[in-house]
Amino acid sequence: MVADTHAEQPALTPGSSRRTAQEPPPQAVMGLLNYITATSLDEDYAHVSEQRRRSGDVTQKRRPGTVGMAVLAVFGVLVATAAVQTSRNADQSASSRASLVSQVNARADVLDRQRTTAQELQREITALGDAQLASTTEGRSLESRLNRLGVLTGATAARGPGVQVVVDDAPGAKSPKFMVQAPDLQKLANGLWTVGAEAVAVNGQRLTSLSAIRDAGSAITANYVSLRPPYTVSAIGNPKRMGADLLDTSGGQTWATLQSFGLKFDVNTEDNMLLPAAKRVALRYAHEPERRRP
Amino acid sequence: MIAAIGLLIGVLAGLLLQPDVPIWLEPYLPIAVVAALDAVFGALRAFLDGIFDDKVFVVSFVSNVLIAALIVYLGDKLGVGGQLSTGVIVVLGIRIFSNVAAIRRHIFHA
Repeated sequence: MVADTHAEQPALTPGSSRRTAQEPPPQAVMGLLNYITATSLDEDYAHVSEQRRRSGDVTQKRRPGTVGMAVLAVFGVLVATAAVQTSRNADQSASSRASLVSQVNARADVLDRQRTTAQELQREITALGDAQLASTTEGRSLESRLNRLGVLTGATAARGPGVQVVVDDAPGAKSPKFMVQAPDLQKLANGLWTVGAEAVAVNGQRLTSLSAIRDAGSAITANYVSLRPPYTVSAIGNPKRMGADLLDTSGGQTWATLQSFGLKFDVNTEDNMLLPAAKRVALRYAHEPERRRP
Repeated sequence: MIAAIGLLIGVLAGLLLQPDVPIWLEPYLPIAVVAALDAVFGALRAFLDGIFDDKVFVVSFVSNVLIAALIVYLGDKLGVGGQLSTGVIVVLGIRIFSNVAAIRRHIFHA
């Protein structure tokens, strides 16, 4: 097919009667790819053989001579060198990758060790602080205040009785109407706060004053961590009253409505739950009490 | 025959001597090889067509290699080395394929 394109390409067939002298050159008419294919053989070969035939040169020098052999030898050297070079570089890049991997592993080990050390030191600091506070009356009152604030702000883990609300999408839900949405979870959490919860967590994510329950794509996130249904909202507080009181809040009423759509909404009391501490909150603002200043 | 001997000598010399390519020449070696390959297949097709000429072969080989390397060099300097290399490879690849197709027809008469 390809070799015949010379004959098939109308622009290359000379002497057509309709064609004028101003006919554009073949490369302009044929399109780039066709032109490349049609002239894949260097035109010089045809040109030189045409010249030779015209000049009546009968000494047909059609075999490669010593010059051709030399050029082919150069070509061989070129190919061999390129191949050798490539395989050599491949070895190099493989070994450098291996050394990078071992470096990464070594650094990860160091990081692990330092994390452990940091945790140990943190525990030590807490223990020393507790001991310091427990040694004075003022310190003890401060400590109890600290514990209370720690629970309320989510800085420390909280343990105690409370209620556990398990909510989930309606079975086989296809439309968002029958699925738990972030605002529904927000209303539920706010309802629990309203009825006196001291600490609230959604699927193990402790809610603080800085937490957000949001839609992120198809998932709901709390503290920027994706949650998977079913959603378990745990709240520490008075287990006898919170469950009943919750239904009187607007959040509870929203969920009563949602329940009629087939969404799951179970409230259970728990005797002892452990809610984890929220992720460490970075201290952004602090000031020394006035009276301590010199 | 003489061509095959030349090629063999070249490959053996390259493998045995393993010449060190200077670092500045390294990026141009692969593209030079592809350009040389195009010239060699063109020569083989011309040989089978009965219009082979030593001088044309030498000139086309040297100019192919030099121009390909020059284009890549220029592209590197202009910051479009990768794109220009791709362009050169595409054009040379098309030429190689159509030349090989012609050679195949010569050998198998199909």
